[in-house]
Amino acid sequence: MRIALLICLFFLSLVVVAQTSAIKGRLTGRDHEPLAGAFVHLTNTALHTVTDSNGRFILANVPHGEYTLTVEYVGYRSVSRHVRLKENETEKIDIGMEVGDGTLGEVDVYGKISQEEDAGSRQREKRANNILNVISAKSMERSPDINAANVLQRMSGLTIQHNGGGDEAYPIVRGLDPRYTNTLIDGIKITSPDDKSRYVPLNIVPSDLLGSIEVHKSLLPEMEGDAIGGTVNMVMKDAPGKTTFRLLGSLGYNKIFMDQSFNQFSRSDISQKSPIEKYGSSYIAQPNDFSRSNLKFDAVRPIPNTVAALTWGRRFARRKFGLLLAAGYQNQYYGSNSIFNQAAPDIHSNGAPAISDFANRSFSTQQMNSGLTLHLDYHIDEKNKISLTSVGLYSLLAQSRVIIDTSIFGGNGGRTVPGTGPVSTDYTTVTSRQFLETTKLEGKHILSDHFLLDWTGVYSYAAKRTPDMADLSLNKKIDTVHTTGDQNGPYSFVETANYFDDITRIWQHNEDQDLDGMANLSYKSKLHSGGLLELKVGGLYRHKTRYNIQDSYDLKPTTASNGVKQVFTNIDSAQWTVYNSSGTYDYDKNKYRLYENVAAGYGEFKVSVPLFDVFGGMRVEKTEQGYSLNTFYPAGINGVKKNYTDLLPSIMVRFKLNEKTNLRASYYKGISRPNYYDLVPATRLSVSSATATTGNPYLNHTVSDNYDLRYEYYPHEEEAFFAGIFYKSIQNPIESAYVSGTTFEPENFGTAMDYGLELAYTRYFGKLGITGNYTYLDSRISSTKSYYNLATGYAQPDTLQERSLQGQTDHTLNLSLLYRDTKKGSYVQLAFQYIGKSIALVYPIYGYDYYQQPQSNLSLSAEQQLRNHRFVLFTKWNNLLNTAVRQQINSLLVDREITKLNFSFGLRYSQ
Amino acid sequence: MKNGKLYLALLILTAGFGSCSKSGNDQTTIITPTVPSSNPISPGNISGFVKGTLTTGNSYTITGDLTIKAGDTLASQQGVTVIIKNNAQITVQGVLNLVGTQSQPIEFNSDSQKPGSWGGFQCDSAQAVTIKWTHIDNTGGPDPGGDPRKSVSVTVPINVDIEDSWFTNGQDDLLRLQGGCHITILRNTILCSGSTDGEAINIKSGATGVVAYNVVYSQAGSGIKMETSSTVPIPQTSIDVYNNTLVSNGWRRGAAEPGRGISIDLNARANIYNNLMVNDYQGLEIFAGADTINTKYGNNLFYASVNTYVDTTSAGGNAPISIRANFYPGDGVGKPKASDLISTAVGDKDPQFKSYDGKVATPNGAATGNDFHLNPGSPAIGKGNLTYNADIGAYTSDGKGNKH
Repeated sequence: MRIALLICLFFLSLVVVAQTSAIKGRLTGRDHEPLAGAFVHLTNTALHTVTDSNGRFILANVPHGEYTLTVEYVGYRSVSRHVRLKENETEKIDIGMEVGDGTLGEVDVYGKISQEEDAGSRQREKRANNILNVISAKSMERSPDINAANVLQRMSGLTIQHNGGGDEAYPIVRGLDPRYTNTLIDGIKITSPDDKSRYVPLNIVPSDLLGSIEVHKSLLPEMEGDAIGGTVNMVMKDAPGKTTFRLLGSLGYNKIFMDQSFNQFSRSDISQKSPIEKYGSSYIAQPNDFSRSNLKFDAVRPIPNTVAALTWGRRFARRKFGLLLAAGYQNQYYGSNSIFNQAAPDIHSNGAPAISDFANRSFSTQQMNSGLTLHLDYHIDEKNKISLTSVGLYSLLAQSRVIIDTSIFGGNGGRTVPGTGPVSTDYTTVTSRQFLETTKLEGKHILSDHFLLDWTGVYSYAAKRTPDMADLSLNKKIDTVHTTGDQNGPYSFVETANYFDDITRIWQHNEDQDLDGMANLSYKSKLHSGGLLELKVGGLYRHKTRYNIQDSYDLKPTTASNGVKQVFTNIDSAQWTVYNSSGTYDYDKNKYRLYENVAAGYGEFKVSVPLFDVFGGMRVEKTEQGYSLNTFYPAGINGVKKNYTDLLPSIMVRFKLNEKTNLRASYYKGISRPNYYDLVPATRLSVSSATATTGNPYLNHTVSDNYDLRYEYYPHEEEAFFAGIFYKSIQNPIESAYVSGTTFEPENFGTAMDYGLELAYTRYFGKLGITGNYTYLDSRISSTKSYYNLATGYAQPDTLQERSLQGQTDHTLNLSLLYRDTKKGSYVQLAFQYIGKSIALVYPIYGYDYYQQPQSNLSLSAEQQLRNHRFVLFTKWNNLLNTAVRQQINSLLVDREITKLNFSFGLRYSQ
Repeated sequence: MKNGKLYLALLILTAGFGSCSKSGNDQTTIITPTVPSSNPISPGNISGFVKGTLTTGNSYTITGDLTIKAGDTLASQQGVTVIIKNNAQITVQGVLNLVGTQSQPIEFNSDSQKPGSWGGFQCDSAQAVTIKWTHIDNTGGPDPGGDPRKSVSVTVPINVDIEDSWFTNGQDDLLRLQGGCHITILRNTILCSGSTDGEAINIKSGATGVVAYNVVYSQAGSGIKMETSSTVPIPQTSIDVYNNTLVSNGWRRGAAEPGRGISIDLNARANIYNNLMVNDYQGLEIFAGADTINTKYGNNLFYASVNTYVDTTSAGGNAPISIRANFYPGDGVGKPKASDLISTAVGDKDPQFKSYDGKVATPNGAATGNDFHLNPGSPAIGKGNLTYNADIGAYTSDGKGNKH
C-alpha cells in the first residue's frame, strides 16, 4: 500500500516538474513600506521562501493546484490567502499586512521556539528589555564599512580606538576606555588572541560574516556583568528559513600607494620558532640563526585590495535541519605617514612641554582577515531545538615601519640649528598571525507550557604568534661646518656615516583556552489581571587559561679592530654578534601563565502589563584570577592571585506610552576586571608610540553604578527617534598613569563620573532619507601629576589634577544622507562623522595633556541592483576628506597621521 | 646593619689611635682585640639569599643569582676573592659593605673573565652601598630582558660610597646612579668598558654628591655624564666633578654619538674643575639643556696627543677627526675659560703622563698598561682651582688623589 503510494507520488512529481507554475508578489506593512525577511509558505507543503529587501517574493516550481499561502512577520498578524494555480501560470499576489496586537517578545506561554532572528533592527530595539542599539546586516552591507570596527563607530555613543596604522581596534562606548566594554560573539564571551586585551579586536571580524551587531547599554541580570560601558554583541549569520546563496567580491585601492610605494619584506625566511625554541635552552645562538631578508625592504605597488564573501544556507529534512556556511576573506594594503614628536619639559620655560624629538614615520601594512562560520541546528520537534555553531577567524598582519627620529634636545645632545642633530633610523618588520576558534553547542527545550530550559557549552581557543619581530637601528649625526671659520658666518651641513647601532629580534606567542558552561530556566505565566509574569534563573561557569612566551635577542654590530662601531651599508653586509646568545626564553618576565575562573548566578523577573514592563533581578559573580611567572624571581613579584565577589542588582522599567512610544528607565551595577596583562609587572614596549607599559599587581577591579533614561519614538517602519541621558559613578576606575621616563602603568583613581546625552534619528522623505546620531559626553576623574616651579625649585609630585577620562570625546556627530529607489534598486549613502576632542595620553606634568584633535570624516557608498534583481553592483569610498589624526599638547603638535582615501568596487549575487 | 656599624666603629677607632701614635715620639703599639665577624659565610659555593660576611683570605664562588634581602647585610673583609658563574647577578635590597684595603683588595670576577660575563651589583632598592678597594671586572652580562646590566646600579635616595676601586671591561654603563642618591665617588679607576655604548659614571635624576680623583680610560661613551630626568626636572642632579683624569673616551660609539670626557644636560648642575682630558672624542660638553646658570667650570686641561685621528667609520670612510676642535664641541654651549689649559699643538700642554701609549680608540676589554701619574714638570701641576686642589688631574702632588 505504502509502496504503491510512493510510486504514485514519484510519477506525480515527474509530471509536476514538467509542468510548473509560480506565485510571486510583494509584501508591505504599515504605510506601504516593504517588509523584508517575512516568511512565506504554502500550508501543508515544504514550499516556502523569505521576502527580499524590497518585500518581494517568488515561489517557483509550484505544481498547479489549490493552496493556502501563509505569510508571517514579527509584529504583524499572520495572513493566509487561498490560491488557485493553473498550469504554467504565474499568480501575482500583493499583500498588505496589519500590525499585530502582541509582539513576539511577549508570547503568552511557551508554544513554539520562535524565529526571533527574523525581526528587524528597529523591532528589536523597540521590544528589547534593556537599552539596545542594533545595526543590521543590510545596513552594514550598504555602509561604506568592511569590518566590524568601522561599522560600530557609526552607532550612537560609540567611537573606536585605533592603535598605530590600523592595528587592533576596540570600541569606546560612551567615552569609556575599551576595557569597560565586553565584546561577545553570539552572546558568548570568547577568548581574545590579542595579548593585551580581554576582547577580540573588532577589525579582524569581516562584516560579511555578521548578521547584526547589538550594543547593549544597560545590563539584564542574565547578562555578564563586566560591562560598565556596555556589551557589544556580534551576531553571526544564522540558518535562514529558505535556501540562501550569496556571493560577494570587490576590488579596491588605497590612494596612498598611488602616491608612494609600499615597503614590502620577505616572509619566506622568517623562522617560526626562536633559536632556543628550536634547539633547546642550552643552545648558544649564532649570528647565522637570524635571517636578513625580513629586514630588506622592497618598494612595490601593492596588488588591489580584495574582499570576497560567501554565504550558503538551507534547511533539510522537512525543515528540521538547518545549515549555514559563511566565509569571508579580506586582503587589504594600507599605509600611513605620520610625524610623531615626543615632548619633554623645557627647563628654559619653566617646564612647559617642548618638542624633544622630531620623528617621521612611514608604515606599510598588509592585513589579511578571513573567517568561516558554520551553523547547524536541529529542530527535534516544535519544543526542542539544538544547535551547533563554530566560528573560526584567521588574521595576518605584516607591517613594515621606517621611523626617522631627530633628537631636538636631551640624551646625547640635540640640534643646534634646524637640519642638525642626532638622527636615529629604525627599520622594523612585524609578522603576526591571530587565530580564533570557538565552538558552541546549545539547546532549547520547552519543558511545559510554563517552563523553558536552555543550555550552552562553549570551547574557545585563541592564539597570537609573532615570530621574529625584527628591528634594525642605525644612527648618524648632522652638524654644521662654518665655511669661513666665523661662528656667526655662513655654514653648510655635514653628516656622519650611518652607524649600525643594533638589531633586536623578538619571538612572542600566546595561547588562550576557555571552557564555558551555562544554563537558564525560565518560567512564564499569564497574570489574572491580563499581564504577563516571567521568572528566570541561571548560572555560568568559565575556566580560562593563558600562556605567554617571549624570547628576545640583541644583535650587536661587530666592531673594527680598534673597537669602533660598524658603518651600515646594507643588511646583507652587516656583521653582528649575538649579545645574549642564550636568549631570554628561560627568564623573560613576559613568560607567564594565567588563569581566570568566573562563577555566576542570577535570578530575574519581568512583569508586563499593558502600560509598562518592569524587569529586574540580581546577579552574583565570583572571580578568581591570577598569574604566575615561569621563572622564580627572588627580588620581585612572581605571581598574583585575586578573588572577589560582586553583587550586581539591575532594574529596568519600560513605559509603553503608546503603540509607537517607549520611555525607559534603568539602573544596573557593572564591573570591569583588570585586563589579564594589567597584573603582570613586566614592561612591554608599545608598538605604536614611544611609550612602555608595566603591569600593576595591586590593581583593583572597577565597580560602577549606571543610570539610564531613554525616550523612543517609532513613527514608521525603519524610522525612529531616540533621546537618552545617562550617568555613571565609577569606583576604582583604571587609567594609564605615568611612572617614570616614558613608562605608564594602570592604576586605580578614586571615583570617576561619566555622563552624557545621546540623540538618534532616522527619517525618510520619499526616496531621500536621513539618519544620524549625536552624542555629548563629559566625565571627571582626578589623578596625580607632578607640579614644578623651576624658578623657585618648588616641586610637588602628587598634585591632583581633574580632567576627563582618557579617550572620552565631547561631541560626536554621525549624519548620513540616504537615497533609495526601491523600484530601480538604487541606494546611495553619504556618511559624515565628526569626532570631538579627547585626551589621548596623560602628560606627567600638571596642566598639560595630549589631546586628540577634532576630526571630520566623509565616506560614500552606493549600490545598484542589476536587471534580474540577483546582482548588485556596489562601491565604497572612505576618507574622502583625507582626514589627518592629530594630537596636540595645547598648541604644540605632537602627532599627525595621514592615511588617505581608499575605495572599492564590487558585485554581490544573492539567490 | 649592626655588623656594618661595628666595623665602622673599629675603623674610626683605628684611625683615631693611628693619628695619636703619630703625634707622640714614644714607640707605642696598640693591641686591638681580634673581633670575629658576625655571621661569617663559609668559603665555597654560594647562591640564593645570603647575609653575613665574606671573610679575609677566602675564596667564594657565586653559582646563581644572589639576593641580599632588605635589612640584611652582605659585608666583605679585605683579601676576599669571589668568582661568579652562570651570568649571575648580586641583587642588593639591604646593605652592601665591601671594604678591602690597599694591600689586600677584594676581587669580583667571572669564571670566564670575558667582558660582559656576569650581572654586577643591582642595588636598585638597596639601603646603603659601600665599595672600597675592590676589583669589579667583566660585568655587564645580559639581564632577563636581553639588555646589558650596569656594573653598579642605584635608583633610590641612599648613600653610595665608592672609593679606591677598579672597574674593568664592563658593558654599557659602569656606575648608574640616579633616583636622588647621594654619591661619594672617589679615586676609582675605570678601564676599557662599554662595547659600543655606555657611560663610565652616569648620573641622573636628582643624584647629588662628589665625583673626584677618578681615572676613566677608553670608555665607549662618556667618562662622566650628568642629567636630570627628562620628565622630572626637580630635584636637580647636582655634582662636584673635579680632578678626574679622562683619557681616550668616546670613540667606540662612533661619530654619530661621540662620547665626551664630561657632559652635562637636562637641568643638571655641576662644578667642573681641575679635570684632565686627553684624546677624548669630545672634551667638555655643556649642552643648552643643562642648568647653564648654575653650572661652573674652569681650570680643566685639554690635550690631544695627535693632530687628528682617522675615524675609519666616519663619513667618506677615512675622515680625520680633529680632537682639538672638539675640546668644547660645537653643538654645546660651553666656552673655553681663561683658567683652562688648552693645548694648541701636539706637545703643547702635554700633561706628561708617566706612561701612555697614545692610543686613541681601543676595543672593549683591551689590555692596557698606561700610568696616568704625572711626571714632574707637568703643566697640570699647580694650575688647579684651589677650592678643590692645587693640581689638575686624578694624581695630585698632595697625595689626596688616586692611590692606584
